[in-house]
Order: sequence, then C-alpha cells, then structure tokens
Amino acid sequence: MKVVGARIPRYDGTAHVTGRTTYVDDVRVPGTLWTKALRSPHHHAAITKLDTSKAEAMEGVHAVITWKDVPLLEYGHLAALGIPADEPLLAKDEVRYLGQPIALVAAENEDLAAEAVSRIEVGFEERPALFDVRQAFDAEAPEIHHEGNWYKHFEEEMDRRQIRKGDIKWAFDNADTIVQGVYRPAAIEHAPIETQVCQVVPEANGRLTIYSCTQALYFSMGVVAAHLQVPLNKLKVVGGTTGGGFGGKVDTATETMCSLLAMKSGRPVKWRWTREEEFLCSSTRAPWHMEIADAVTKDGWILGRKMLTLHDSGAYSRFSPYGLTKHSFHHTGAYTIPNLEFDGYVVYTNRTPTTAMRGFGVTSVSFAVETHMSRIADVLGLDPIEIRLKNANRIGDTSPNGIVYTDPSTVLTIQTMAETTGHELPADYRTMTSEPRSGDLLPEHLVAQLGNPEEH
Amino acid sequence: MNLTVNGVTHEIDSSPLTPLLDVLREELGITGAKAGCHQGGCGACTVLIDGEPRRSCLMPVGYADGGEIMTVEGLGTLDDLSPIQQAFIHHYAAQCGFCTSGMLLAGQAYIDHGGTDDEEAIQNALAGHVCRCTGYSKIIDAVAATARGDSFDLTETAVGKHTTMATGGAE
Repeated sequence: MKVVGARIPRYDGTAHVTGRTTYVDDVRVPGTLWTKALRSPHHHAAITKLDTSKAEAMEGVHAVITWKDVPLLEYGHLAALGIPADEPLLAKDEVRYLGQPIALVAAENEDLAAEAVSRIEVGFEERPALFDVRQAFDAEAPEIHHEGNWYKHFEEEMDRRQIRKGDIKWAFDNADTIVQGVYRPAAIEHAPIETQVCQVVPEANGRLTIYSCTQALYFSMGVVAAHLQVPLNKLKVVGGTTGGGFGGKVDTATETMCSLLAMKSGRPVKWRWTREEEFLCSSTRAPWHMEIADAVTKDGWILGRKMLTLHDSGAYSRFSPYGLTKHSFHHTGAYTIPNLEFDGYVVYTNRTPTTAMRGFGVTSVSFAVETHMSRIADVLGLDPIEIRLKNANRIGDTSPNGIVYTDPSTVLTIQTMAETTGHELPADYRTMTSEPRSGDLLPEHLVAQLGNPEEH
Repeated sequence: MNLTVNGVTHEIDSSPLTPLLDVLREELGITGAKAGCHQGGCGACTVLIDGEPRRSCLMPVGYADGGEIMTVEGLGTLDDLSPIQQAFIHHYAAQCGFCTSGMLLAGQAYIDHGGTDDEEAIQNALAGHVCRCTGYSKIIDAVAATARGDSFDLTETAVGKHTTMATGGAE
C-alpha cells in the first residue's frame, strides 16, 4: 500500500503553478494561420447554395474547405464498434443543428478569417425543427433524420436497447400498488475554461503533427485518419494536456478540419473556438426522458420495473448508442429488481449533438432511480433509507444484464450515509451486511434470480 | 508603448487598442495568462498591473502603457516557488490548471493587500474566477494557508500521515 492513504504530489502540479504547462493554445509555431468557421444559422434547413469563391479570392486567405474537400465525408465516432456513420464532417445538403460547420477558412489572422467567412455565399431553405426528445419520439412528429427520428442499429438491427428479465407480468399481477414517475434531466454544457482548440503542422516528411486538447487521443487519431483516408503513421497526435474536458472533449471537434486546412494551405493552422462557439456549437450532456413504473408490495419490495428511456442524441448519433447501453445496464441503480422490461431509444432532435459527461448515461438513470426510490417510500409511508437497504444489491444478486454481483458495496454505503447524517435505523438494518440473502431478506420472488449457487 | 512584464521592459508594436492578453501571448510569447472567454467572464487571463488584478482580455494595451505587469511566470521559479505556488501544490488547488494562473494572481493581490485566512474574504477576492473542475474549496484552502504563512515540505510523500476519504474526509 504505497499509494492508498498517501500524499502523492501531482506530476503536473509544479508546471501548473508556474505557467509552464503547455496547453494547445500555448504551442508557438511560426507562420501559423488562424481559422474561422461558417456555421449554420438555422436549426434545420436544406442548403440551397454554397459558393466560397469570393472568400478564396481574398488576399491573406490561404485555404477554404467545404464538404467537397473531405476524402471520407461521413465517419462515425463508434465505427470501430460497427455502428454506422450518420454525420458529415462538413454539412453537404442540409444542416440539422444551429452552429453546424459548413465551411472553414484559414487566413493570416483571426479577423481576416472572420471577414472571409462573411463573404461565403450560402442559401438555406428552413425546415421544421424539434427540440424536445419526447416530442421527437411522437409518431406524428416531422421526420428530421434520414433514417427516421430514432437510431435503428443496435444489435440485430434493433431500433431500441431492450432488456427483458424474469416475469414482468407476474410482478405486476402480484403487486400491491404501482408507483410511477417521469424524470427529465436537462442538457448541461461542459463549459471547460479552455475552449476547443487545435493546432496542426504539416511536416516536411509528409506527416501531420496535430496538437490536440482531446480527452480521447486514440479515438481522435482514428477519426482523423479515416476522414483523411491516410494511414495512422501519417499522423503524430500530441495530446495529454486538457484545460478541462469533463467528457466534452471526447468528440473529435476540430482536429480533422484543421488537418484538411493544413494540407490544403501547406501551412500550420490553428483553430480556437470562442466562448460563444463553445456554448453554442460544442456537444452537451444529453437531455433525457425517463418513465418508470414499479410493481411494489406494501412492505417495500420492488417486484418488477417497466421503464421507457428516451436519450436525446441531438442531430447525430455520435456516442449516444453507447451511452444508452450503459444507461440500460444501470436502470435498477444499486438495487435488486428481478423482473424487468426496459426499452430505451436514442432519439434525434435538432439540438447540438450530445455526448459523454462524467458518468455517461449513468448519472441520468441514477437521478431517476434515486428519486423514484424516495417516491416509493413516500407512497408506501416507509422509511426512504430502510427501503433502499431492503432492496440493496447483495452478493449473489444479478444486474439487469445478468452479471452476478460478487462484491457490492451498497449496504455499507447506505449505512454510512445514514450514520453520517444522523438517520436512526432499526437494529436489523444497522447490522445488515452484503452477504448473500437469507431469511426475511430472501422472499420467494427473489429466490429464482439467485440461480445455481455454484456459479457465484 | 512600453510594458514591464515580470521585471523585463518590452517595446510594444501592437496597436493601443489590442487587448493586453493578446499582446502578452501573441507579441511577447508570454503564455501564462489564458484566453478562456475574451469577455472578462472567467478570470483565466488575470494579471497584476501595478499590483492590482486586472482582466487582460478586456484591457486595451494602451491603458497599461508604462505599467508594471506581473504574470504567473513572475511569481516564482521552478527552483524558488513563491509561498502561494507552494500552497497550491500542497493543497492540490490546481486540477486541469487552466484557471490556475488567474487564481494565483488574484490570491497574491489579496494577500499583498493584507488579506487574512477568512474564508468569506477569500471568496470575495476570488469572485468571478471560474474553476470548472470545481476545485474551489482547495483553492480557498491554499490562499488561506498562504495568508497564515503555513510552510510545506513539498518533497515529502507522506504515507499514512494524512487521513483519507475512508476515515473521514481530506486533511
């Protein structure tokens, strides 16, 4: 035990307090061009015209790129997992969210790049836009995505993430009461103090050096190589220093476009988003819509749960199918519910594409589950801590996706919380452990899920 | 125009309306002050001008003409860290580090003006400095420790000397 309980100095502490840490914005490369983007002013529109000739003709403008300059226009963030691409690097025929990039300019300075962007001629034909995930899921909602309003490519080409466990009909037939709730956490912008930023240097040996603020260097490397259609050995990605990310720097927001500008201009290129762009155009944590109906007994057992989750993916799928999958595995929280019927959908809206943020997919369901546990206690007139302890995961219990818990800490965690907050518990709850269920805590409905003890 | 930055005087070529932040970073290559918002909203660009904390992103360089400017690079060196730098390391007050230079300089100005370890007074002194890693309590602890004159042995990796989460919170 050299580390646990020890005071370990931060390896980057001294650099941080002396201003020595080199963030991407601090990289100095002589001759660097600055970048500005033409972004969609509409939430949803067809692009009817795109003419960059006046911008290209300006003195001091060294490269302008549109979708025509991208060797592989669509590449999915989760392509490595076989999830199909649905998002163009630069908008081609349509825009699906406010701020979606359409064209980029690299020029001698930022002001000139902004001036060049203003000279790009672009036309739109506005389309109806959707901003609420529940509304977008309605059968009557206008279609805003070419494959319909929700993602269709879970395993076996399913249109939802589905979990079925035990006998949900039995649970609802045998319940004393049904407790329902709807939970809708809103979007959150990560808002790191360092905005999205990238610097790309075309090297004499034909490689690109990419200084990136990414949280996911190898993800970004693969995404850039795929769009550019170059082997990985043509890219040297320098990362590891991020001025705050919180999940918002997992998506590859800038590296590919900067690389294309560097290749086209033959010059080092830098793109630093403004604070306004960071708020308006960067990905956010998703808004969610969760409906829970629990079959409960009057003494506080949860016999079964039906749950519908709508995960607002924003305009494109990106990492959302992965986030929803994690969400589905956690939809009973830290509690054992043997009979489950879960349906989760990744739904498109015209919001900024959503992404990871600190516990991707799980924080939303934790909020819903914990609020719902307290609601059940309220409805039944039971103690909210005792009902949690009663249903808490124990050794030998199984998760929604069938994983057997071997070392759950729920009981200890809740007991500690009760003690810390001065919440009085009866003796049998105070002395409860995580050991396999028995006696009063192993009612008939939980016996079946324990299966063969040999497996534990 | 002339600026004295961390004791070195520079002749400035940029136009007087250029933000001081851009002059420091782009003309002089002194990158300790960070561009977090360019709107005066986050505090990451804070420098000291004649001892007063100022948002360099909102200050035209002409207003600082002839002034004595201190950036984080002027606080101390790798071999000779200033007390507030040592306190930030000891108290883990820098996480991603992007807000740190602004926090350090605002904290230094507070102490130079006779600030004490009073938590509310420190909060007021650091108001408007955003730490999105939300490490505020550690930052406030570090400024308070500096105000008290606490000393630290930063070379020590003390096993077992400090309480852990499991036994009841940070030290």
